Amino acid sequence: MPDLLARLGRIGLAILERLGRAHLLLFAILGGFPDLAVRPWLLVQQIYVVGVLSVVIVTVSGVFVGMVLALQGYYVLSQFAAAQSLGVMVAASLVRELGPVVTALLFAGRAGSALTAEIGLMKATEQLSGLEMMAVDPVRRILTPRFVAGFLSMPMLAALFSAVGILGGYFVGVGLLGVDDGAFWSQMQAKIDLRDDLVNGVIKSLAFGIVCTWIALFEGYDALPTSEGVSRATTRTVVHSALAVLGLDFVLTALMFGG
Amino acid sequence: MRIRPGSRRPPPILSAGTGPATVEVAAGEVLVRIRGLRFRRGTRIIFDGADMDIRRGRVTAIMGPSGTGKTTLLKLIGGQLRPEAGTVEVAGLNVHALSRSDLYRLRTRMGMLFQSGALLTDLSVFENVAYPLREHTRLPETMIRKLVLLKLEAVGLRGAQDLRPSELSGGMARRVALARAIALDPMMILYDEPFTGQDPISLGVLVKLIRSLNDASGLTSIVVSHDVQETAAIADEIYLISNGQVMGHGTPAALRASESAWVRQFMDGLPDGPVRFHYPAPDLAQDLFAHA
Repeated sequence: MPDLLARLGRIGLAILERLGRAHLLLFAILGGFPDLAVRPWLLVQQIYVVGVLSVVIVTVSGVFVGMVLALQGYYVLSQFAAAQSLGVMVAASLVRELGPVVTALLFAGRAGSALTAEIGLMKATEQLSGLEMMAVDPVRRILTPRFVAGFLSMPMLAALFSAVGILGGYFVGVGLLGVDDGAFWSQMQAKIDLRDDLVNGVIKSLAFGIVCTWIALFEGYDALPTSEGVSRATTRTVVHSALAVLGLDFVLTALMFGG
Repeated sequence: MRIRPGSRRPPPILSAGTGPATVEVAAGEVLVRIRGLRFRRGTRIIFDGADMDIRRGRVTAIMGPSGTGKTTLLKLIGGQLRPEAGTVEVAGLNVHALSRSDLYRLRTRMGMLFQSGALLTDLSVFENVAYPLREHTRLPETMIRKLVLLKLEAVGLRGAQDLRPSELSGGMARRVALARAIALDPMMILYDEPFTGQDPISLGVLVKLIRSLNDASGLTSIVVSHDVQETAAIADEIYLISNGQVMGHGTPAALRASESAWVRQFMDGLPDGPVRFHYPAPDLAQDLFAHA
């Protein structure tokens, strides 16, 4: 029993230590914001790498998720003679929940893992140490632009996901299942609220962007500088990001829509 | 030794403002002074009260068996690691007592050649060498281009300026890294295992480059290595370190003539001596038949 307690204590301390390091890194990253004003091209470059290169996977996923939503929604709504509300259901589901959440999960898998691997390999190949010895702060020069690019890209990717998802839902609902074209759009326009739905969705995706990018950068920066260390860090990024997004989604949803 | 504010060779191209008060060190005097250095990783003691003096204008080699803390020593000199006790002074400045900005200012006067080269893989050879110039100077692009080409010419790789690091051999990558390390005309260069894994031609080129750059540019070079022949050929002084201590110190000739059994074993590469070939283990017969 004392052994078990000691082991639990060690695990707890290790988790706290990692959390402490992660927060210190976050503060250091935030401290690099003024540098971005001097070197804005670093941010533009990273928005391309983190955001633009994620457009294809987000677009394709968004279309399919919207199509599936329309199929499932039509099946349920038609039982209550409410199939004309399909547009509202698809749009609300995407804008409030699925857009931010699924985009964040895709982002963690595509851009997050790439960020961790990149930073971890830079550490393993001494590029970060090399920058330090050139009197260049690697946190400010390498991590800060990626962090800002991550949380700026996420809302835009989530908006794209929701937009193409609605188009996918329109294609299935109106094009294949025969829902009225006018009802699909007009009910959506009447029921979707700017603040409650769109703004809250954007807030969610901003929060997910910060958390996913922070986890990805920390895992890369904290990785053991070996191939196994980078590999484990990359896996941790995807797992921790997914858990953090889903947990945070519940908290944010409760705060926004919990009454 | 005279104390003056500013640097030994004021770098007019630097834009980082005035540096911390440094000591102007004359050739042959101590540029890096290490006293009572203690450092450990976990429970393992790497340095246990080591003292060393690196003199200006000379090539000083730090040698010893693998895992004795040679690379760690370079990181301690560069301020990337903090010792448990003791001091490391570079040009009169206690490296570990400096503020972050002063440490970074001091580092602009140090170059470091990493074992892997540590080139930024998303930049070309030209951009890698230009990187410190772009970061720390406000020189016009035409001047940066000329400086980069001159540095690349010095290491014989002007023709490789457009290549990516992935297209370079190991020896070429280290020469590019060397060009980058001298881009800001530092007072001192730290070489981490520059000869490891080099073919004979690259090795010969690197050996010559280190010596000629040191002499031509009035640099101070600290070469960490365990390649006795190559290092002894260019070093003015050698420190032999092991078990956290300085086991021997002197010119290559003096160390070759040393009567210390440890020094003789290392310099002559003998398998038997104070340094045991086998990692501590129980008796072989006992181990083999333990489960018989």
